[in-house]
Amino acid sequence: MRVILTLALASTAFAALAQVPMPTPAQTKPVLITGATLHVGNGTVVPNATVAFDKGRLTYAGPAAGFTQDRAGFDAIEATGQHLYPGLIVPNTTLGLTEVESIRATVDDEEVGTLNPNVRAIVAYNTDSDILPTVRTNGVLLAQTTPRGALLAGQSSVVQLDAWNWQDAVVRADDGQHLTWPQMVFRLNPSEDATALDRRQKARETQLRNLEQLFGEASAYRQQPAGRPENLRLASLAGIFDGSKTLYLHADYGKEIIESVRFARRMGVKKVSVVGARDAWMALDFLKQNDVSVVVSRVHALPRRDADDYDQPYKLPAQLQAAGIRFCLDYQGDQETSGSRNLAFVAGTAVAFGLTKEQALTAVTLSTAQIMGIDKDYGTLETGKSATLVLSKGDLLDMRTNAVSRAFIDGRGISLESKQTYLEKKFRSKYGQ
Amino acid sequence: MKISTQQLPLAALLALLGHGVAAQPGTYPRNGVADQRPGVFAFTHATLFTDYKTQINDATLVIRDGKVVAAGPAGAVKIPAGAVVQDVRGKFIYPGFVDVYTSYGVPETKAPERQGRRQGPQFDSQKTGAYNWNQAVHPEVNAAEMFKVNNDQATAYRALGFGAVLTQQADGIMRGTGALVSLNTNRRENEVMLLEKAATGLSFDKGTSTQDYPSSLMGSIALLRQTYLDAQWNQRAPRREQNLSLQALTQQKALPAIFQVSDKLSALRADKVGDEAGQQYIIKGRGDEYQRLNDLKATGATFVLALNFPDAYNVEDVYDALRIPLEDLKHWEMAPANPARLSQAGVPFALTAADLKDKKKFLPNLRKAATYGLTETAALRALTETPARLLRAQDRIGALRPGMEANFVVCSARFLADDNVLLDNWVQGERYQLSTVPADYRGVYTLKIGDQPEGRFLIQGKPEAPELKIVPTAGDTIKGSLTVSSDLATVVFNPKDKQKGKAPKAAPDNSTLPAGSVRLSGYYTQEGRVFQGDGLLADGTPVKWRAARLEEATRIAKRDSAKAKPVPVVGSLIFPFAAYGRSAMPGQEPTLIKNATVWTSEAAGNLENTDVLLINGKISKIGKNLALPKGGRTIDGTGKHLSPGIIDEHSHIAVAGGVNEGTQAVTSEVRVSDVVDNEDVGIYRDLAGGVVAAQLLHGSANPIGGQSALIKMRWGATPEDMKIAGAPGFIKFALGENVKQSNWGEQNVLRFPQTRMGTEQVFVDAFSRAKEYEKEMAAYNKLGKGKQKTTEGPRRDLELDALVEILNRQRFITCHSYVQSEINMLLSVADRMGFKVNTFTHILEGYKVADKMKAHGANASTFSDWWAYKNEVRDAIPYNAAIMTRAGVNVAINSDDAEMSRRLNQEAAKTVKYGGLTEAEALRLVTINPAKMLHLDANMGSIKEGKDADVVLWTDNPLSIYAKPEYTFVDGREMFSLTADAALRADIQKERQRIVQAMLLAKKGGAATQAASDKPQGLWHCDTMGQEKELAK
Repeated sequence: MRVILTLALASTAFAALAQVPMPTPAQTKPVLITGATLHVGNGTVVPNATVAFDKGRLTYAGPAAGFTQDRAGFDAIEATGQHLYPGLIVPNTTLGLTEVESIRATVDDEEVGTLNPNVRAIVAYNTDSDILPTVRTNGVLLAQTTPRGALLAGQSSVVQLDAWNWQDAVVRADDGQHLTWPQMVFRLNPSEDATALDRRQKARETQLRNLEQLFGEASAYRQQPAGRPENLRLASLAGIFDGSKTLYLHADYGKEIIESVRFARRMGVKKVSVVGARDAWMALDFLKQNDVSVVVSRVHALPRRDADDYDQPYKLPAQLQAAGIRFCLDYQGDQETSGSRNLAFVAGTAVAFGLTKEQALTAVTLSTAQIMGIDKDYGTLETGKSATLVLSKGDLLDMRTNAVSRAFIDGRGISLESKQTYLEKKFRSKYGQ
Repeated sequence: MKISTQQLPLAALLALLGHGVAAQPGTYPRNGVADQRPGVFAFTHATLFTDYKTQINDATLVIRDGKVVAAGPAGAVKIPAGAVVQDVRGKFIYPGFVDVYTSYGVPETKAPERQGRRQGPQFDSQKTGAYNWNQAVHPEVNAAEMFKVNNDQATAYRALGFGAVLTQQADGIMRGTGALVSLNTNRRENEVMLLEKAATGLSFDKGTSTQDYPSSLMGSIALLRQTYLDAQWNQRAPRREQNLSLQALTQQKALPAIFQVSDKLSALRADKVGDEAGQQYIIKGRGDEYQRLNDLKATGATFVLALNFPDAYNVEDVYDALRIPLEDLKHWEMAPANPARLSQAGVPFALTAADLKDKKKFLPNLRKAATYGLTETAALRALTETPARLLRAQDRIGALRPGMEANFVVCSARFLADDNVLLDNWVQGERYQLSTVPADYRGVYTLKIGDQPEGRFLIQGKPEAPELKIVPTAGDTIKGSLTVSSDLATVVFNPKDKQKGKAPKAAPDNSTLPAGSVRLSGYYTQEGRVFQGDGLLADGTPVKWRAARLEEATRIAKRDSAKAKPVPVVGSLIFPFAAYGRSAMPGQEPTLIKNATVWTSEAAGNLENTDVLLINGKISKIGKNLALPKGGRTIDGTGKHLSPGIIDEHSHIAVAGGVNEGTQAVTSEVRVSDVVDNEDVGIYRDLAGGVVAAQLLHGSANPIGGQSALIKMRWGATPEDMKIAGAPGFIKFALGENVKQSNWGEQNVLRFPQTRMGTEQVFVDAFSRAKEYEKEMAAYNKLGKGKQKTTEGPRRDLELDALVEILNRQRFITCHSYVQSEINMLLSVADRMGFKVNTFTHILEGYKVADKMKAHGANASTFSDWWAYKNEVRDAIPYNAAIMTRAGVNVAINSDDAEMSRRLNQEAAKTVKYGGLTEAEALRLVTINPAKMLHLDANMGSIKEGKDADVVLWTDNPLSIYAKPEYTFVDGREMFSLTADAALRADIQKERQRIVQAMLLAKKGGAATQAASDKPQGLWHCDTMGQEKELAK
């Protein structure tokens, strides 16, 4: 189908605007961006900055005055009045795993069963998704492609969004395990009585016992002598005990957050991060004292309870910031793949409800990179780091001004066209607009 | 024992003879010799209530053959010769109670195997016979035909004082008739039935019906309305179809009708249905009537109240307690006050023992209601006169006048007194003994044990369960146990079981008692009121003991314990009865907003440093340096932006009981306006996002859906008052995947249409039928009144009525649509059939057909950037709104989502980014443009003198993500502001804390509690089926 469509398009005037643009080859020529306001990602803002990069790495990022390299040989981009940001990172997303939510054949984000730690999202990540180019155009250049499911859903990987295939896309493979913590909060259907609460409570206790058993055996399995019979589940959990992988605990209710973190610590898990955390405001002290980072689920959400403050989801990032907890922002929920192009705007809303703009930017760049363990290369625009950056004509976090003019992944200037820009041009021309 | 000697032989007789003692001869043959007895009894020296308000002291009641013969003062009533006379001196006789809401003796209905969505749809009724098409409508069911005397059930009701009940099968929407029966269980069904058809029953709940339709509350309402019309038509045109259900309905028209509802809002809904059908329903509610008392009073309905007051919640855990909705906390506190509040407001009601898991709680709960101010007279009335009158049986039950049924209750004390014991319940002249009078030993006694110093012996508690306290002359009070039976007493106490108590009046120490339990046995003598006998101390020392009652001390103790209990504290009412409700709607005082940037959404564009004056709910003046009228207030708008209130063209908030009636392809008869839920917190949250009005749309599960409601966010008003007066009628149409059930699973492949081809035919067919119908109706309406009566005429069809309105431009279409083929299809059907498509909503491929939409005159209401969630939106683009705008189409951005609704300004802003609209144009997408497409622009949608004062003051440019509403005005009322919100939050915390403390105290006091369970936080979506909301992901 795609072949036919592409052939048909080849005969039109928009042949160059293929729906999923061709990935850009590796950077061969150094690039110099001047005049822009540099938002480093760590809170620092540099007006009239100069940024230079070569072979995918930043060779300079700072005040214009401090740039001493010879300008010859650079592709120069004059960007006065524009803003330069690190490429945004969307964590905890099914981007690349789900194309069209209602068409089962296009959904690869949830495996059957509840204990699938051996399952890996990266192998299902589809670099040819029509959605990816539309996400990049708003500044999101990296993603943590993440499986879904009850209890142990599988392993996520960090990818960049301009690649030929999944191997090509990998930034960090299998960075973490995802444990959906059993809900403590039950609701009764009108037809149910209080005994249903007991039944659910019992089922939950069974789940927790099974988890405890599995974690105990997985931890011990590492000490087994060589030649042991291979157990995919137990083997795949090794990384969370030696600290090479993060255990992402998906929990929302305050008591679930505390319970899940306590569980992980008790079982000897080295690195944990709480994902979702919509009631994290109930557990601020706990999170701070235990030095647990948080991946905050989509800020554009309704409060959990009728009596909650109308802006509770909007102000949660500011509450975490004030408590000194490391956090980043995700976009999970309905339409999370196509909607993840709005990641910058959930950060913007967090500004309207208490963060500074630079704090909000950090929550979609540096903090995300730190939580996912890729901050050595990504998350800020500092000399030596990857040249993964976005240039916008206005404030990136506000839809009123967000206008990405250029984007680079590892120094490669990527296409900002998509199926949607193609359709726009096609039909504007129909009406002579 | 106080049982009078006259009572004993009768009790013995009854025990000997068993059933059928006083039955009258009937049609039934009898086994053995005839045993017809006179059945004449006279009760003398009673405190008699001949009805709920008439108390006669020293009265005589005479009954014969199960009927009252005479009831009056002793001097005025002659005791007939041969009467069995009972002296009931000191006792109280009340008319037997009547319960109008029971299913006594009728079988429970069981649902046939349910054909859920899994098994595929069920279009037709499964009932055999010439009955109605809908399985939930069965007025032909008569409780009298299946009633069977049931001893266990009757015993439970009689124990509460009931003598007669209305029994009915509580199943379905039109439930059939109920029978009025007495609770006499010695007689045959024929003999206990007082009225064969005493009332009919209704509800919005289809019960055990397995048929798909109706799947929503609005569907139930439409079904009721249509069924009443069908009955009329069936009467007029009886030869068109034999319909036993409709015939039964016609025959029952004059009967009292009891409508069971699930809450106060549905009570209002039911009354509206009744008004249209010419029926004043009696309403059996949930017990939350106090929350909307004035509105319910205005219905003129009599209510049936259950006494199932909720248990307190477990609130020990700080966070778990937050999960309990404020309204549930408040309801726990206020529910027992419900009967008192109705009574004080003059709303008539009957009481029922229904809904109580444990019927024994009925009287304790009634006493509890009394502590909240329900008077004994009002309670009695609600148990006697009112239910009897409701069933039009006031000449037979509910009072004790000559000729009436001999149904009465004999009590040991005043009916609501704490120590009252129901002794006998006489039903149709036969006695059912409930309990005997327990001898009352309570009082203050001297206590002398052996040569111990004299102490005190206190008997407290209830007569049937006395509690003993020993008060030695020094030291602490000791708790002991006392059992008395037939004047034989056993006492045990251990000096160690000390209780904190007042020190006794005088003297020596009791420490001489050896350690261990003291056991005393003895007997009571009435003369001198003395307990005496022998006992053993713990060390085996035999002692004599004696406790003699101190009359003066007893009198004082009784007086102290009988002190009136204080009326319990309850919180105040809020509107709506939910978090963020207020005690009253904000006022409309003149408000001057000074020096703001005013986004007019008019040709004038944006006005800098401008004042806007709001008076009496209207925008009175726009200009510079406006003066503030007296009594008004000023809001400084410097650096802020004032915009028109946002209007959401496509919303599903504030809807009760389902958003889709998608069980048939065409359901234009259902109306969202029937089911507006004014308590949805989504309304308040929308206000916090600057939204002032919305179209509440039916879902998109079928091609022709239901009629919309257009509301303003008047948080706190009734559902009726939330609707925009004078707004035109709208209706939902839909195309595409939802309509053809593409994503409903493999079982749902039967309902037509399953393709876009079939969808076209649904429209052509519906409008063809509508045109025929319109012609037939017009012809019929031309006939004279007399002629009309003799002509069969067309059947009035609510579904086609709505379509005729569309053809006549009296109702406007909002059509859910996505892909260009189907949009062009509907435009072409509309042109062919002669109607207009007012609005295409969602319309994500509108950019492909903008020229055709413009030519047709259709509006477009779309999403800013949604796509890829299903196949038909793969070509959706965020440039859609801009391209359509540039092509000359009137475009709006809608939400279809309770969360996005509160950020519609941001969604509009995206059209600047995607597609390059100007900022003023972008804001119009959520203000004047939706107002135009909803035909509300004469009064709403822009800042213009004379228009409604629906405005929002933003902290920043309203298209910026950094902007938030600081004030949202609706009709000039400050419905939201950041400061008012802060105050409401504080109120909620305070109220929660207060009630939580009360619950903790109640639990400590031994009250039953329940675990917190979460209120479903789901939302309606376009494609939500059924009556349960969907949980957010």
